Amino acid sequence: MTAIDQVISGSAEPFISRKMAIFLGRLGFTAALLIAWQWAADAFGIIFFAPPMAVLQRLWEMTASGEMFLDIWATLKVSAIGFVIAMIAGAGLPFLLRLSARFTEAIEPYIFWSQGIPKYALAPWLILWFGIGELPKVIIVIAMSFYVIFYNTFAGVKAVDFRLVNMARVIGASEKVVAREVIWKSLQPFFYAGMKIAMPHAVGACIVGEFLVSTEGVGYYIEHARELSDTVGVFAGIVVATGLVLAINALVNWMERRALAWRPVEREMR
Amino acid sequence: MAPPFLEIRNLAKRFPTRQGREPSPWVIRDLSFAVGEGEFVTLIGPSGSGKTTLLNMIAQIDVANDGQILFSGDAIAVSDPKSLRPGLDRRVGYVTQDDNLLPWRTTIDNVLFPLEVQGRLDDKTRAHAETLVKAVGLSGYERYYPHELSGGMRKRTSLIRTLVYDPPVILMDEPFAAVDAQTRAQLQEDLLRLWEMGRKTIIFVTHDIAEAIALGDRTLVLTKQPTRIGAEHKIPFRRPRNVKDIFALEGFASVYETIRAEIQ
Repeated sequence: MTAIDQVISGSAEPFISRKMAIFLGRLGFTAALLIAWQWAADAFGIIFFAPPMAVLQRLWEMTASGEMFLDIWATLKVSAIGFVIAMIAGAGLPFLLRLSARFTEAIEPYIFWSQGIPKYALAPWLILWFGIGELPKVIIVIAMSFYVIFYNTFAGVKAVDFRLVNMARVIGASEKVVAREVIWKSLQPFFYAGMKIAMPHAVGACIVGEFLVSTEGVGYYIEHARELSDTVGVFAGIVVATGLVLAINALVNWMERRALAWRPVEREMR
Repeated sequence: MAPPFLEIRNLAKRFPTRQGREPSPWVIRDLSFAVGEGEFVTLIGPSGSGKTTLLNMIAQIDVANDGQILFSGDAIAVSDPKSLRPGLDRRVGYVTQDDNLLPWRTTIDNVLFPLEVQGRLDDKTRAHAETLVKAVGLSGYERYYPHELSGGMRKRTSLIRTLVYDPPVILMDEPFAAVDAQTRAQLQEDLLRLWEMGRKTIIFVTHDIAEAIALGDRTLVLTKQPTRIGAEHKIPFRRPRNVKDIFALEGFASVYETIRAEIQ
């Protein structure tokens, strides 16, 4: 560091490094959160607010017995099936709509209106049709995650730099190649933004579905614990659900980093 | 007599009007010229004279409202948007004003893009692409993304991306307008050197009079709107030319002054 830099930054060698400061800050927040949690448990009582140590112990028991993994697997399966279907439909439909501006204009209000339906209101009717198996839950998961992916991808299709499309056509690219090499590639940031918003919705929808009809899954575990007035179990279930969402999110982030590795390094916010 | 290699006959263009407005004026009207095979023609005109629009129509990414484009005597459809064939089955290459590189592809992958798309990527064409990369001084930058390159490097990449698949006609739309004078002179040298290797037909649009004279076999001067060809000059200088010395040649100043007067 030169003398001028020191004058500008206002200090000589920093006392602790930037990374260290962020780490300590996070540690501090975690500690504050745990203290607040413990305080709330003391203040409201174990029936309403499970203390952190009891939740931790329950998580340990669930892990040791393997019970947790069965529930995670059940939730993961339904969420993943629904999410993948929503992803394919949500990313694919904009490519079909590209083919006809008139058809798009005709169908757009219907897509918009159907988005207005409160999806959970469909649950009783779906159970009526499909019984209490996994299908109604899969459908709710699709309905909860499709729109975000669709709207984001569609915005991406509309935002494609038309000059790149013309360039590819002049070079001799077929419409299939234009779709794959130009449009799909340039809408990646939009697609991943949609995926990241939709994914917690998908898991959440699955858990709500499990509240209603289920004999397994994280949602079932939470609802079952509530019926037994087992607040520690409710809290443990919420922690497991959060962990599940974060794990899938890390996977999506990893995929995004790979797909968008070409982009300029992200700058700090100003 | 054999028909000209590429002929533009009475081409006309006006942009569609929005409802309730007066009919839009003609941007281009009664524009005609012919280009011989292997000829380097430069088009010069004031800004806003529809130069880009003209090239877009020849490249078949925009429709004309009237007139004809003939390729070795064969007329191609110009006015129906559905029957346009961008690039005319790879016969017309187009180096646009913006480099239009794919930002997610590296230099070499951008240059290989046409070959991939056309299903012609093999050891031979790949070696050719690598030769071109070296010829324009991009060795060492093959694995860089466009945002990591300078403006001049991106221009060179975009230029050789068109040269790599050898289209018989190449359109160039002020390809060197956005770079500094020093880089521009270098790029002009590069272009002439590459052109001497294959002598493709080139239609080169510019608003720089010196550039038009330095590069072309013939310079066509466009009028103000509605644009047509206002004057034509045969450029007498011998090839191969040295762009940096061309200003000193006898006859340069008089052609320059004549064209400048015609543009105003």
